[in-house]
Amino acid sequence: MTSSKTIVLRSSDGATFEVDEAVALHSLMIKHRIETGGADSTTIDVPEVTGNTLSKVIEYCKKHVEAPNSDDLKSFDTDFVKVDQAVLCHLAKASYYMNIKGLLDLSSKTIADMFKGKTVEQIRETFHIKNDFTPEEEEELRKENSWNLFV
Amino acid sequence: MDSLPDAIVQYIISNLTNAKDVASCNCVSKKWKDSTPYITRLYFPRSIFDHLSNGQTPDTVVLKMISSLSRLEELVVYCRFTNIGLASWLLHTGTSLKSLELRMDDLVDQNTPTNGPSKLECIQAARNLESLKLWGVLMMRAPKWDVFKKLNVLEIVGAKLEDSVLTEALRSTPNLTHLVLLGCDGLRNVNIELLELKHSKLDFYGSASCSLTLKAPKIEHLEIQGSSWIKVQETSCLKNLSIANSAGRVYMVDFGKLMALESLSIRGVQWSWDAVSKMLHFASEVKHLYMKIEFTGDFEALLPFPEINFVDFFNSHPKLKTFDIHGAMFAALCHKNSLKSVDSSFVIPCLEEVVITVRSPLNAEQKMSTLEALVKFGNNLKKMKIRILQMRSAHCSVDDFFEEVCKFRFMNHKLVSIE
Repeated sequence: MTSSKTIVLRSSDGATFEVDEAVALHSLMIKHRIETGGADSTTIDVPEVTGNTLSKVIEYCKKHVEAPNSDDLKSFDTDFVKVDQAVLCHLAKASYYMNIKGLLDLSSKTIADMFKGKTVEQIRETFHIKNDFTPEEEEELRKENSWNLFV
Repeated sequence: MDSLPDAIVQYIISNLTNAKDVASCNCVSKKWKDSTPYITRLYFPRSIFDHLSNGQTPDTVVLKMISSLSRLEELVVYCRFTNIGLASWLLHTGTSLKSLELRMDDLVDQNTPTNGPSKLECIQAARNLESLKLWGVLMMRAPKWDVFKKLNVLEIVGAKLEDSVLTEALRSTPNLTHLVLLGCDGLRNVNIELLELKHSKLDFYGSASCSLTLKAPKIEHLEIQGSSWIKVQETSCLKNLSIANSAGRVYMVDFGKLMALESLSIRGVQWSWDAVSKMLHFASEVKHLYMKIEFTGDFEALLPFPEINFVDFFNSHPKLKTFDIHGAMFAALCHKNSLKSVDSSFVIPCLEEVVITVRSPLNAEQKMSTLEALVKFGNNLKKMKIRILQMRSAHCSVDDFFEEVCKFRFMNHKLVSIE
């Protein structure tokens, strides 16, 4: 096996994380940066992601790179997303920017599962979303969707 | 969540499938209102439109939702709809629809529309369908379908149709690999020819003596319920076979060689002895065998099974790994001469698991001998389960028999369990 080269990832708030190159390459964005950055690219900035989120993303990549065929991968994933909605949203955003499909799919699906069976109000509350419809628009929507008891 | 870019919101929402959830998302905020175009699967549950008002119909609400999607691949509709509605939806989904599941409810609601093509005929518009599932279909005549070239899976649950209608409908689906027909009423002589068919589950009811002729040279998995005459000639790929008839008799089975057969299940009230012995004869390579037939006999009279020679039986099924046998058939293995050709060189090499269901205490001694023989000659036997069912306990021999079985279990406690 080749030498275990390490890469340093720097988050938006200056936190640095040293990871094995193989783990870092799980992010196609980082892979691209390394391939186009030249031989000196040992520190890579990830300004779209904060330290807390980056550390979780690295945890995900580590598990998936080091033990991709393990039996407990599924339960790892299930436990990994047992976090609150804010963290999930940060993970979705980070995996989108860092181009980590597995994590994007996992976090998106988990967030989507949180909408199921909820009324519109409940969805807004859970995710702190502002209702930016005008009263007229709201009335229109209500009429169109009167069949949906969740409105 | 508010700070998530549109692309991510749309990606998240594309995971939703229930139309209620999709409709709710459209009302959350302005950004969310148009974030549903990437949904690829849409499901309308049965009761979703129970509270319609304002002149809306299920047809129009479904259409509005489908129109906002850029590429619908799977549509499941359990709520009521009309042929006109269906036609309008399929016009919109065009060639992207791969999977369609509809609750037709023809059998409940027998109003055939006088305006336009039937619901079945409207399905024609989804030319690229790969999977079609229909619930409750009344096929008075074969739908005028062109060929569904890509259709691999067809499932019809609850149908009323005649032989010729079925044959003709299947002419439009020549590339089927999976065919499921459950609760099909009205069929008498079924003739199916599907050259790509691999999996099939056929359940006929109504007439207890339906005949089935199947030409499917690639068939691997076949389950048949409710047929009395079965002919399947090309069976070189058949791995799993189950034949059952709980309402009528199985008179005749005509199968090609079953060299690839790994598991066989034969069940029913009455099978002709010819049919039973033929199945057992051809299934010589079988690893898993399940036998639950109450009686034999070629005519009305329900007869018990003739004796089955224990040694011959296991020698002719040398690969047998799991074996599940019930009542009357087990009794046949326990005739007084069944064990006569047992000698010390006899062995049951691969048998690992046995389940025996006993219904009567008659011939208790023979039964115990057979159980002992199984343990003695089954070198690899790991588990034996003895199920004792519905025995009338007024007979004192029942208690004696039960005691014998318990003793047997005690002597072989690592292997044997009783239910």
